[in-house]
Amino acid sequence: MAPAYNDGKVKTFTPRMRKKLRVLFIIILAAFVGLGIRLYLITRDKGDEYARLVLSQQEYDSKIIPYRRGDIYDRNGMILAASNKVYNVILDCSILMGKDEYLEPTLGALQSVFNLDISEIRQYITANPSSRYKILAKRVSYEQMMAFQDMKNAEGGELIKGVWFEDEYVRQYPNSTLGCDIIGFTSGDNIGNFGLEQYYNSTLSGTNGREYGYLNEDSDLERTVIPAVDGYSIYSTIDINIQSTVEKYLADFNEEYKNKVNIANGAENLACIIMEVDTGNVLAMAQYPVYDLNDPRNTDRLIGARQVDIEGKKTTGKPIEITSILGNADNEMIDPDAVDTTESASQDEEGASEDAQETENTADGSTVTTVTADGEPMLITESLYVTEDSLRLMDDDTKYQNLNSLWKNYCINATYEPGSVSKPFTVAAALDSGSITGNEYYNCEGKLKVGDHEIKCHNTYGDGYLSVAEAIERSCNVALMHISFACGKETFLKYQHAFGFGLKTNIDLAGESRTASLVYTPNTMRQTDLATNSFGQGYNCTMIQMISAFCSLINGGNYYEPHMVSRVVTSDGSTIRNIEPRVLKQTISPTVSNTIIDYCNLVVTGEYGTGKTARPAGYMIGGKTGTAETLPRGNGEYVVSFMGYAPADDPEIAIYVVVDRPNVGTWGAQADAKYATRIVRNILTDVLPYLHIYMTEPLSDKEKAELEEKNLTDTHEYNTAAPEGTETMEDASLEETPEETQAPEEVHEEPEEPWRDFAIDPDTGYAVDPNTGAYVDPQTGATIGLDENLPGGGAPVTADQDGSAIGDAPDQIQ
Amino acid sequence: MATNRFAIRKANEKRNRYFDINLLMAVIFLLIFGLVMVYSSSSYDAYLTFGNASYYLRKQIFATLAGLVLMILVALWPYRHLEKMAWLAYVASIVFIFLIIPFGHEANGAKRWIYIGGVSVQPAEIAKAAMIVFLACIISRMGRAVSTWRGFAMVLGMVAPISILLWAVTSNASSAIIVMGIAVVMLFVSTPDYKRYIIGAIGVAVMAALVVVIIVTNASRSGGSAGGYRGDRILAWIDPEAYASGKAFQTLQARYAIGSGGFFGKGLGESMQKLGFIPEAQNDMIFSVICEELGLFGALALLFMFIFLLWRLKIIADNASDLFGALLVVGVMGHISIQVILNIAVVTGTIPNTGISLPFISYGGSATFFLLAEIGLALSVARGIQLRDY
Repeated sequence: MAPAYNDGKVKTFTPRMRKKLRVLFIIILAAFVGLGIRLYLITRDKGDEYARLVLSQQEYDSKIIPYRRGDIYDRNGMILAASNKVYNVILDCSILMGKDEYLEPTLGALQSVFNLDISEIRQYITANPSSRYKILAKRVSYEQMMAFQDMKNAEGGELIKGVWFEDEYVRQYPNSTLGCDIIGFTSGDNIGNFGLEQYYNSTLSGTNGREYGYLNEDSDLERTVIPAVDGYSIYSTIDINIQSTVEKYLADFNEEYKNKVNIANGAENLACIIMEVDTGNVLAMAQYPVYDLNDPRNTDRLIGARQVDIEGKKTTGKPIEITSILGNADNEMIDPDAVDTTESASQDEEGASEDAQETENTADGSTVTTVTADGEPMLITESLYVTEDSLRLMDDDTKYQNLNSLWKNYCINATYEPGSVSKPFTVAAALDSGSITGNEYYNCEGKLKVGDHEIKCHNTYGDGYLSVAEAIERSCNVALMHISFACGKETFLKYQHAFGFGLKTNIDLAGESRTASLVYTPNTMRQTDLATNSFGQGYNCTMIQMISAFCSLINGGNYYEPHMVSRVVTSDGSTIRNIEPRVLKQTISPTVSNTIIDYCNLVVTGEYGTGKTARPAGYMIGGKTGTAETLPRGNGEYVVSFMGYAPADDPEIAIYVVVDRPNVGTWGAQADAKYATRIVRNILTDVLPYLHIYMTEPLSDKEKAELEEKNLTDTHEYNTAAPEGTETMEDASLEETPEETQAPEEVHEEPEEPWRDFAIDPDTGYAVDPNTGAYVDPQTGATIGLDENLPGGGAPVTADQDGSAIGDAPDQIQ
Repeated sequence: MATNRFAIRKANEKRNRYFDINLLMAVIFLLIFGLVMVYSSSSYDAYLTFGNASYYLRKQIFATLAGLVLMILVALWPYRHLEKMAWLAYVASIVFIFLIIPFGHEANGAKRWIYIGGVSVQPAEIAKAAMIVFLACIISRMGRAVSTWRGFAMVLGMVAPISILLWAVTSNASSAIIVMGIAVVMLFVSTPDYKRYIIGAIGVAVMAALVVVIIVTNASRSGGSAGGYRGDRILAWIDPEAYASGKAFQTLQARYAIGSGGFFGKGLGESMQKLGFIPEAQNDMIFSVICEELGLFGALALLFMFIFLLWRLKIIADNASDLFGALLVVGVMGHISIQVILNIAVVTGTIPNTGISLPFISYGGSATFFLLAEIGLALSVARGIQLRDY
């Protein structure tokens, strides 16, 4: 049956073609089915992975908003440390390259505002045209950032594209070196190192915020911002004015004694703490050398400091083997005697004249010499003190160790034998325990035989009969040994523990040393140890332990926990925590406390008082001097100190100054508390008027002139309650002129004072004992620089005086 | 008798005049769906670039409306008049291709457009439509001669210059392949045997495999991109992750879009990949956005719509009143099916990347305009169908 439309002329679509069309359609269908299966497989196998990839490609999925680290203020709200916002300049090349006309205006703006190297940026853009994040400049200021934004908003600025700013905070210390050891610094990602920055790190730190996108229920991308939580700010108990006064006088001292004998600082360590007696709040805590908190890794500040080796131990000044310096590996170590030690020549002479033992120690660090280019062999001597030469030779690890010792806070980290400043504690323990009544007399014959040892007093001729008060006034070792024997070691150690020796004070600063192993226990203490402990030798303490305990001696017996921070506030200024003074214990009774004050006042006012030179003009203070021998015994090196309080009748502040090994040579030269008392006098002269403590004492003409020179006012008139010029005080002479004309008002038998007849050495001003040739203080009869013949061995004190190896040093930062 | 029968037929014709409303509805559905997807995929980019989210949509609507008008005109016009215009179509397509050389408008590194009266036209699209007309005419005239090797070769030999010209002048390989493909499909339907097609298919497959092997070994020897612009595309196809930020970026991002859409998609307009990750998402890669927003379900629904469209074309070809009309419709069917298959194959990474748009859906004025003209031809052929009364 032929189709109706086939008229024979028109060619038709034949059944065969229809069949082939059906085949074609089936082939097409098969292709479609194949593609459908492929789609299904992609969805099934890769669906989750691709869904994640798609989300992760979204650029605004996560962005960190940095928090602001809390500030540190002093007690009056002056800024000690602050975090300021800065900006990182980020370039998005793919936006910049979006249109050709963006390039030139943008680069031009970058150059004019940030002074960037345009050719470098051009190179980067050519190499990475699709880069979306390139930091062009770090930490530009707000002003610069705004200058760029203004340019963008100005006419023609719409062609500036692809540059944006990232917030960052930078820690700044406006007073640079001021209070460096209290404040500490931050490294890297807001991690505090040392001081308050480390101790209060978690308080100062906040929480980073986040900006991110997420898919809501309708699969819409939404952006959410979790704001950053800024850190809390802290108010320190420090007073910036007192702190700077203290640092000024420490620096003055350093300036005066710098390079005097050794090419080094004025003293190996120089430190001072001022504390409120009735709160435990620290008003100032300073040391020398200092460092710039804004540039803590600057090694220039190390020059003059005692050098440490790669393990953090103090260098000994012995020759060391250097196998290769400046690429010359052939140098062998040569005989130390062949070294040209020009810079330390004077040192060597002095050492030789005094004691052969000294030559080794005084081989100054400045003998470091480099190997010359022509291969001339030279000896390398390990430096005792850091010099420019030794800095050049130091490897990075050693440099770091030296910086680390610079960053440490001497006041809380270093341990040392306190010496005579501990005598009031021995007396207080004896009085409070009832072991003595205070009416005893002790006969000082210049020495006391304890066990096998003969322990000498500093006045080897003997002070004769001394009352307890005079024992403190004259700092008599023999009397103190007798007093400690009256206590017995159990009682003595019980009180030592009560005063906090061997215990951490838990001051809120990072890096306080542990001293538990540096004091005796009843099991380890022998009679000789008790004897030496009574005048502050044989055990170690830290400065903060000493002054905290001393405050309790003079405030009625209340031991306050020493504190650096009084208040924690949120970033908007609301107080969230007040740190109140905390009494930890009653160390002694108020009666004993008053007695101790009377005794300590004598140290400054008494005829034989060792601390006269600490008294500032117009004021009466009390205190105790200290001159401690260091280890090894007989090295002629001393830690001199003065611990005092003001005003004398009602102590408000306590001050403790330590001069560790003043740079005045060895032996007698160092053993003079006036290195410390003069600093105390200078500091108190400025600080007491600042604290509105008014003058009570009459002023001599000389003192009036001095006050005028310092631009200080005579504050007698403000002091309405001030008594009339007291008769107990002689016309205070600041000079150490012998007062032979004045008859001593001793009740007891006048002791023989043979040293008063000795000839005065014109060079040193000391009297010379014709029998022994030793120098004698013409006023007190104390033999200068004489070994007090302290027993060694069995004592917990090690040869390392600063506790850097024995205390728990703060975590070292990297 | 004969005149009488002719008169009856004429009367019947008038009475039973057929209009394929199914085909028209399928096309209109695809067009509207295409406009929606063009807007969805292009609005983000259009807003960023031109500050006008509907920039591409408006141009596409204009082209679609113009195409619909043309389609209606062509559908109403008796297609048999075209039989005389075979050579005109052939020459016209050559002329338009050559016009590119002086008047060509460059975009994306290739000259593919010319401006005629303010409207940009792609000569490749003209060539595709013209080839369908030309081949239908030649093959129907040749009759059985086309089945011979000589006839077969002659037909291909006439198409080849157009194909090569397209490749050479517009450097548009995909258009050249499509033109050849249309010729092969039309010859396949009009010649009885299978052998030569099977052999040809195997030959092409072997050739392709050889080319791939040579490129890959060359590349591994010289340690990177050797083999030029197309060679890189093949390397990117084999290991897209290695070229994730370069040649394979577009296809990889398209595949992420397909995978992340899941079975039911993120919802219309919710694509994230169109936000700058798939370059020119409204063009060749629009199918991936459809997958992401409407899921596998939406993609398969679209494939069914294309199958329905092709099935309607097959019905029309089967029932065409003459061989010329049938071959015209077969050509249109071949054109649409080749483009759909290749487009989806590219988007899914089944074959190396080459620029092929998805008919009726992708953005592109010329393509839509001339495709609608082809649909008009099919409708015109459908109008010639006589409903048979058995």
